[in-house]
Amino acid sequence: MILARLALRNLLRQRRRTALTLMVVVAGFVALSLAGGFMAQTFQGLADGAIRGGLGDLQVLPPGHASGDEGRSLERSLPDGQALAARLRRDPAVEAVLPRIQFMGLLSSGPRSVAFLGTAVDPSREPRFMACLDALEDGAKAPGGAGSRWLSADPAAREVILGTGLARALGASVGSSLTLMSTTRDGALNAVDVEVVGLQDLGLKELNDRSLTVSLATADQLLEAGPARSALSVILRRPGHAAQEAVRLQAQLPGTRVRPWYELATFYRQVKLLYTAIFGFMGLVLFLVVLLATVNTLLMSVMERIREFGVLRALGLKPGQLLSLLQWEGAFLGLLGSSAGLVATLLLRAGLNALHLQMPAPPGTSHGYELDIHFVPLVYLAVALGLQATIQLSALVPGLKAARLRIVEALRHV
Amino acid sequence: MPRRGARCRNGTRYTARMLELRAITRAYELGGERAGVFGVSLDLPGRCLAVIAGPSGSGKTTLLQVAGLLDPPDEGEVWLEGQPVSRLPERARCDLRLRRLGFVFQAFNLVPVLSALENVMLPLQLQGLPTPAARARAGAALDRVGLGDRLAHRPGQLSGGQQQRVAIARALAPEPALVLADEPTANLDHAHGGPLMDLMAALARERGTAFLVASHDPAVIARADRVFRLADGRQVETP
Repeated sequence: MILARLALRNLLRQRRRTALTLMVVVAGFVALSLAGGFMAQTFQGLADGAIRGGLGDLQVLPPGHASGDEGRSLERSLPDGQALAARLRRDPAVEAVLPRIQFMGLLSSGPRSVAFLGTAVDPSREPRFMACLDALEDGAKAPGGAGSRWLSADPAAREVILGTGLARALGASVGSSLTLMSTTRDGALNAVDVEVVGLQDLGLKELNDRSLTVSLATADQLLEAGPARSALSVILRRPGHAAQEAVRLQAQLPGTRVRPWYELATFYRQVKLLYTAIFGFMGLVLFLVVLLATVNTLLMSVMERIREFGVLRALGLKPGQLLSLLQWEGAFLGLLGSSAGLVATLLLRAGLNALHLQMPAPPGTSHGYELDIHFVPLVYLAVALGLQATIQLSALVPGLKAARLRIVEALRHV
Repeated sequence: MPRRGARCRNGTRYTARMLELRAITRAYELGGERAGVFGVSLDLPGRCLAVIAGPSGSGKTTLLQVAGLLDPPDEGEVWLEGQPVSRLPERARCDLRLRRLGFVFQAFNLVPVLSALENVMLPLQLQGLPTPAARARAGAALDRVGLGDRLAHRPGQLSGGQQQRVAIARALAPEPALVLADEPTANLDHAHGGPLMDLMAALARERGTAFLVASHDPAVIARADRVFRLADGRQVETP
């Protein structure tokens, strides 16, 4: 422990220099930790958006399902999706099953017709588990969206909710009557008259320009779907167990494909990859800055103490112990820097979150969100360990220099 | 070489041979000329305060560094307590310096961030002595050199004479066989230098520790049991 005490005293010897180095370490810690908290918020938001946007925790799909199949009305489907949904509802791990039919066709207001991508849902279950009412609330603020409401649970009701862009393209508003046209499972052309009961803002312009939502009963009449469903969105009682439950349910449901939400959430994966790359690059730069600052501090400290090192070596200190002394100094720098960095991060996080800052809409989305930097202990730990490793590495250079000093030359040093 | 059983000038009996330098040569280039020590031999029994005397540049410090295992000789051999030691691996020489040798430097060379007590504890703790035992021994050593009331003082808060006494306590606390002192009074005035040498002589007598001191100070030389004189790196007189 004598080396540890000596190391701590040495750091306190040049307080201003040590403080400057600590500031670099603290700045690095704060920058990386806040960025990590912001990323966690972004990932959480994207994950919620994907799950509550319709995917659920798991999706039960027809075998051979591929991305893009959504537009091919029931060509690939779960032929007895109704029975499958009923069976899944009995599984103790399953909170809810939300059947869906994906279809495409033309939507006509008389003078104008626009192609659409439709989703048929169970109007009674959907609002409990999905963000459809939020989308409706946002859609109500769009032109023609006043008075928007969710689909009626009455199987006889023929109602539609339009994406805001689709409504604008057709000049439709709440209360308008439109005609849905599509092909049945047998390939015959069919049409159903529907009333617009709401507009929805799904957050992505491309979706708002093409999407509409109807009840399963309406889709059944239009597509003659019978018990077939395009997919079943499964809500789990324990959402964090999507991967394990996907494997378990897959074993119980041959003839289907069970996939966790994150495998299907392409946007989520792309953003996560991008953010991880940015965070990684930023981390690399910050670690490099910390490395150079610490090497500089410790090297200067070694140059000033050459004679002292000579005395220590004369007293019997081994070269390895001198190396340890510098490692201790690095250890204290890292420990003090990370501790102060953690305090600064928590204070800054609290301050920034209290400001309720509105972030601009991310690319491809239609509305912004409130900044809420998450508390992520694992990120703090990873940053602290990374910084500590960097500082220990930087202490090697001056440590080796000190260990290689010739005693008689060190004692002569002025 | 004194006979076994012979007496030092201070009246105590010499003990067995502590240090022996056999035909030591250590040369280096200085300003284009060859300097150092050449073929120097000496031996030193325990309880003896010996001085290597000579003018500046005569090779006193070089010889002391070779004797203290800080620098290996080009030729010759250093014997410590009857063992040849100058060709030992660095690790073994470190151990010998830590356990059997003590050093006192001209510029005191205390660790400035440690208190007087901690400076004296340093070699003891490096030896692996538990902190309470190291504290007790260091306190006793400082008491012996008259600094029992300055334990918590940092070197910067002590006078030159006091710092040198701390350095002596640091050298003696591990109970070494031999203490090597390089111009220990050079930075002290006469009023402090004399008592310091008296202290070394007394410690040599009490503890059986041998002292080898490099100095050109007549007051130091006058207190020595034995004097080895150097000029231009060569031995000019042996006692």
